[in-house]
Amino acid sequence: LQPVTITLNGREVSGLAGTTILELATESGVDIPTLCHDVNLAPVGACRVCLVEEERSGGLLASCVTPIASGMVINTHSERVVEHRKTIVKLMLASHPDSCVVCDKGNRCQLRQLASDMGIGLLGFERLLPVSVSEELNPFLERDLSKCILCAKCIRACQELVVEGAIDYYQRGFAARPATVGDVPLEYSECTFCGTCVALCPTGALMEKETAYRGTSHTSVETTCPWCGCGCSLDVEAKDGRIVRVRPGGNGSENKGALCVRGSYGYDFVHSPDRLTTPLVREEGALREASWDEALEVVAGGLARLKSEHGGDSLAVLGSPKCTNEENYLLQRFSRTVLGTNNIDNGSRLYNAASREGLGASLGFSGTTNRLSHLEHAGAILVVGADPDVCAPVVSYAIKRAVKQKGARLIVIDPRRTKLSSFADVWLRPRVGTDVVLMNALCKVVIDQGLFDDEFVSRRTDNFDALAEELRECDLAFVESATGVGYEGILQAARLYSAVSQAAIVYGTGVTQYPNGPAAVRALANLVLLTGNVGRSGGGVYALQMDANGQGACDVGALPDFLPGYRSVSDAEGRERLEGLWESPLPREAGLTAVELLGGPSAGRVKGLYVVGDNVMLGFPNGRRVAELLASLDLLVVQDIFLTETARMATVVLPGASFAEKDGTYTSFDGSVRKLQVAVPAPGASLPDGEIVMRLAEKMGTPMRYSSPAAVMDEIVEVCSLPGYRAYVDGSYAQADSGSKRQDELGNGWGVGRIYGGLFPEGFARFCPSAYVPVGDSPGDYPFTLVTGPTLFRFGTGARGSRSSRLERFCPAGFVEMCLRDAESLEVKASQRVRIASPVGVVECGVRVTETLPQGTVFVPCSFPDIPVNQLFDVAVDGEGMNASCRSCSVRIERIECRE
Amino acid sequence: VSEDGKSAELDRTRIASLVAESSGEKWSLIPLLQRIQDELGYIPPDSIPVIARGLGLFPSQVQGVISFYTQLYTHPRGRNVVRVCRGTACHVRGGKTILKLVKQNLGVEEGETTEDMEYTLETVACIGVCALAPNLVVGDHVYGHVNPKKVEQLFKNGGKRG
Repeated sequence: LQPVTITLNGREVSGLAGTTILELATESGVDIPTLCHDVNLAPVGACRVCLVEEERSGGLLASCVTPIASGMVINTHSERVVEHRKTIVKLMLASHPDSCVVCDKGNRCQLRQLASDMGIGLLGFERLLPVSVSEELNPFLERDLSKCILCAKCIRACQELVVEGAIDYYQRGFAARPATVGDVPLEYSECTFCGTCVALCPTGALMEKETAYRGTSHTSVETTCPWCGCGCSLDVEAKDGRIVRVRPGGNGSENKGALCVRGSYGYDFVHSPDRLTTPLVREEGALREASWDEALEVVAGGLARLKSEHGGDSLAVLGSPKCTNEENYLLQRFSRTVLGTNNIDNGSRLYNAASREGLGASLGFSGTTNRLSHLEHAGAILVVGADPDVCAPVVSYAIKRAVKQKGARLIVIDPRRTKLSSFADVWLRPRVGTDVVLMNALCKVVIDQGLFDDEFVSRRTDNFDALAEELRECDLAFVESATGVGYEGILQAARLYSAVSQAAIVYGTGVTQYPNGPAAVRALANLVLLTGNVGRSGGGVYALQMDANGQGACDVGALPDFLPGYRSVSDAEGRERLEGLWESPLPREAGLTAVELLGGPSAGRVKGLYVVGDNVMLGFPNGRRVAELLASLDLLVVQDIFLTETARMATVVLPGASFAEKDGTYTSFDGSVRKLQVAVPAPGASLPDGEIVMRLAEKMGTPMRYSSPAAVMDEIVEVCSLPGYRAYVDGSYAQADSGSKRQDELGNGWGVGRIYGGLFPEGFARFCPSAYVPVGDSPGDYPFTLVTGPTLFRFGTGARGSRSSRLERFCPAGFVEMCLRDAESLEVKASQRVRIASPVGVVECGVRVTETLPQGTVFVPCSFPDIPVNQLFDVAVDGEGMNASCRSCSVRIERIECRE
Repeated sequence: VSEDGKSAELDRTRIASLVAESSGEKWSLIPLLQRIQDELGYIPPDSIPVIARGLGLFPSQVQGVISFYTQLYTHPRGRNVVRVCRGTACHVRGGKTILKLVKQNLGVEEGETTEDMEYTLETVACIGVCALAPNLVVGDHVYGHVNPKKVEQLFKNGGKRG
């Protein structure tokens, strides 16, 4: 590309061909006002405010859409330009209501700022009557189209960034406005209330409908979203110690100015009146308020007594995928050195264990192999067992952008119809729990048809012969009978996936939460290796997480069998290094996993449990047995921000801090480390979780002293040697910058293809054949297959969602979804209540009839405390160890007769 | 199944096959909308999602295009479109009264369609035959020098064509 030189306000500047005048001016430090322009949106030249003068031709050009041409002489602020610009703004104001004094957009309104900057006083135009205001029923956002200036930012945000397309221009001339299909209110449209348009709207046309706290915000802090594992950057605006609003943060961050409804409006729980504000101690059967000193005394005394009477392994700690890396690191150090046990795990066990086993065995590292931003470069994307629109919305946006804007081919494998399946070239609909068979069949077709990458397979992998041998046994007739997917579909999917040089697999809890999850992950890793899609931009495997820090909690060693950085606890060298650093011996035997701890045969071994930030009563399978186990403990310490179902069982409750009240980091599902910063003070006496752990260690006479979370992070980097952490500290920790551009510029294995740009940790990746073990036939008494998962508006175990006022009101009650034929066979109608029973539990809820499910399969969301669906699941012990099936089980459904 | 239900079903099948013919073509939206309108007289709103899916667009985008062009309709229209001219020449020759009379005769307002689906009433800015003012157009046929009597004759029997 040739540089092009133009004269800009009398100065010669040059830029690459294709650069717009506006971009070059911005680079050169010349400020041209804009209303419809945004770096994340394609320019349209709708508002004309950015017009500039080309001196030679005398033309007035919209600088945002005009590329530079050699010899142009551009004036951005000549008298003529300014006069025209003023007229344009005046015309906008002439059709804009006079309500600036009471408009909540206030000084954030770009139209008002512009008018003020230009010194516009009286308009001198006859004013147009504003059009009517539309009524919205949702609690999230409000449209007042009388304030709309038709800049199309909302339309482009919806179509280009979020790829939902809920709105577009409607009608023409004075009647033109952004509208949904049929001009219906947003609730009846495709709108997901992600709030991206609200953040971009330059005027008061789109606003937050309700805010927990009103007023002009005093501070704005960039931090990281606490909901799913995407690690979206948030700007938290606060006043008087209260959050006023949350906006998408940081230019250049991976979420590209987009969020989802949870990120934009799901923070209400931070200021919930239910927040714990003081430690609680059980006395005569009831919890009462206590001082920190007293509560920590009880905990320290109890833990010390149990340790001396029954040994360290009678104690256990559960870290949290909702807590920061630093806090989980402190917790595992606390468990290993202060308590002397490897009984440390975290709640991501339920969905991460399969990835760790599966990817660990084949790739040598358990995690996403590429950056989220690279997903958009993929030529083909295979989504299996995941509904990113719900569990990782920003990933879904990236996939839809790749499909819509870059022509990527999409293969969706899911028994449920998801939003993505309507974007798919191929949608395969296997029976629940048969992903292993289908992935093996895809591998077989890729080998049989010669679609694999011969060079990659021979140079970078081993054990291919074993895989080929195993797959020779794979009978495609059996595949069809087991999965219900025919050969044609499999062949088509295999061809689409292997036809491009950059193909990605995105998988989620629909794969990992089955007992055969590890086998399914190995099978999909085989497919990735066969096609050589590791170490390439756009290629790779993306393992979605359920929580904000599921990846990080494991990375920093909140695991019973791994030290920080995935060094095995039996690795003497790794242990010695930490023993030297922490000046304490470390236990050698692997500890109990969270599943074993809360449901296995060895559960009774543990007498004291310290649970941090996890509502295990609703999160772990067989909730009733979990409750019995918690009740039988000598000491249960629960550290949380709410008095959850678990906390109510505790001997001592310690009040922790929410994401908005602490410093630290989360590691997103793609391994990028994201910064959390204090935006508001923690309520009452509650403290950041890391601070509590350090105080407790101090109280037990084994202090772990760190001056700040940053000091903990420095140690994590030393100990873990994972690329994301090193890049974070080198690039951004000190500079309060959680943007990720910098990480791209650094080497550190963060470039194209990220982790495996060089070689696999073992030198080779290893094909791991994975035989299919059926999930278990559904007994005749339990004819339905129940599947669970989160929903867009309610997430996790529901502890935060049910206390986030707006999310709660928009989606107040749980339900069971089933297809019309199932509803008819059960003789139930929508919203009638049914009783759902599995061999181990019963729940009741109302019916929703849907077209998204195949016959015989029902869906019950997991995030409603009033429907503890985890009570229906049981812990399964199989050949690969204890695996909790917390995704699916066989159930019986019966109608609850209404009492007349 | 009622007569209406059957014809709606036929329309849906026809739309689906028209959409199938157009998918894959570049810039095919407007020609497709015109084709559908030519055959059915209008573009049924429930065909918008079908068209959108076929062409890889969002339904809101299809609606945006339809609502932008005055030539495209989402409501059924009469078998004959009556356009009364409101150009300057027609105006000075009593076009306003002609419009009023047509409204009275058809029993509909501007933009509306008679109940028997025979006529849709519209106005037009000028049709270029000012020498014949006042004018009105029914379908493709121009009626010049219209007067109250002619209007009555044209639409007698409640608008049924004589």
